[in-house]
Amino acid sequence: MAFPLRIPRINNNDDFVKLLKLHAAEGDRVKTGDCVAQIETDKAVVDLEAEKEGFLLKVLCEENERVPVGEVMMWFGDRADEPVPEPIKNDEPVTANRTALGPTAKARALIKRYGLESDVVPYQSERLTAADVEAYVAGRDTGSGEHQPAPARDERPSVPGILQELSPDEHGMLGTVAWHRDRAAATYLEVEYDQGPWEQHAEEFMQRHQLMMSPLIPLLAYRLVEIAAGAPKINATIVDGRRYQYDRINLGFTVQGVETLYLTVIQNAEKLDPLEFVQSLGEIQRRAIARKLKPEDVRGATIAFSSMARWNVSRHIPILPPHTSLIVAHAAPRNKGAAVMGASYDHRVLSGFDVIEVLEKLTRVPQTQPEDEKSAI
Amino acid sequence: MTFDRDEIKQNIREKIGELARRLDVDAAQLEDDDIIPAAGLLDSAAILELVVWYDESYGIGLTQEEINIDNLGSIDAMADFLIARSPID
Repeated sequence: MAFPLRIPRINNNDDFVKLLKLHAAEGDRVKTGDCVAQIETDKAVVDLEAEKEGFLLKVLCEENERVPVGEVMMWFGDRADEPVPEPIKNDEPVTANRTALGPTAKARALIKRYGLESDVVPYQSERLTAADVEAYVAGRDTGSGEHQPAPARDERPSVPGILQELSPDEHGMLGTVAWHRDRAAATYLEVEYDQGPWEQHAEEFMQRHQLMMSPLIPLLAYRLVEIAAGAPKINATIVDGRRYQYDRINLGFTVQGVETLYLTVIQNAEKLDPLEFVQSLGEIQRRAIARKLKPEDVRGATIAFSSMARWNVSRHIPILPPHTSLIVAHAAPRNKGAAVMGASYDHRVLSGFDVIEVLEKLTRVPQTQPEDEKSAI
Repeated sequence: MTFDRDEIKQNIREKIGELARRLDVDAAQLEDDDIIPAAGLLDSAAILELVVWYDESYGIGLTQEEINIDNLGSIDAMADFLIARSPID
């Protein structure tokens, strides 16, 4: 199956990068780590490396082209003759709901900086984003020879200080938060429930399989996978103003490593039974703690689950991982088993009613008979 | 490599004590044959950390299926499992 190489976010202020040089051509075989292209931001020139071995099937950008962060730049495949997925075309920019949500804060700042009127800038989702403004400005300036204004920058604080580069983990967190802020129409709701029956269910499961660790939270996460299998809408995102329905369920699950909170990913979770899922999650948690995560362990979440119960947090509002529409927030019971189950969700994809339905199903213990068979949705 | 059973047990006990202290719990009363998850001294995350430490420290290469009460449920069990897995000189 073909796999893409996307334009990475190099720094938080650059929603576009310039493709400087291609170092591989269509048909070339590349090894993991081979430099396939060079891109330029306002601050740096960065080599892009092949993320895994394969054949370069198609290059979608040209040298010296400005490309949005997150855009697919190249398609690779395990075989040289694999088909490349058709791009989703959307020639008609979205024009509805402009006033309902309004531009993002960053977009407003750019509009002001460039002296534009927001009504003249077309946009591709429900909100006018910084990327839309940059695209408009870039397009307006193409071939004109006029000076292109520099992108907006964060205002420096008045108090003296030193700028420091972020670690890769911190950079990842920044990218996730930026997606939540700029792309998703993120909101949150929660329901209260009695966790007692779930604890009893987990205890029985633990005894039955002689497990070392309570499977309570993994079983809740598995239940979310089951619900998503029966309600595909929650396993989707928005691309170019249309629903992008995932064809598999990659369950993102937050794991606290030694110093870092990871969003680990159980790939194709819908194909696992409860015990397989619990074991898979156990393996990935061990790799996180041992700092031996593989690239696929943290890539491609389509839906997510987060728990802060270990720290006795009774409510938290998680950030949506990029390209997901739902992350469930499990928390510690506050008293005598009463707990809240919450969810951050992308309102472009899901309504509050959709999410309440998910949470109501999730808070009820499934009827699992015989053992380990998938429960009825 | 051969392992001394008492030394292994002492190392495991020290690690459990360290993990318990982080949770403000005293693990001094834990007996060698107490079932660690049932003792309630360590939460699931701490038990996971104990397993990872055990696997890495002794180079065992545990499979997920091997992580169960029978094999690793107590200090005694962990020591016995390690000795059984180590090659005979």
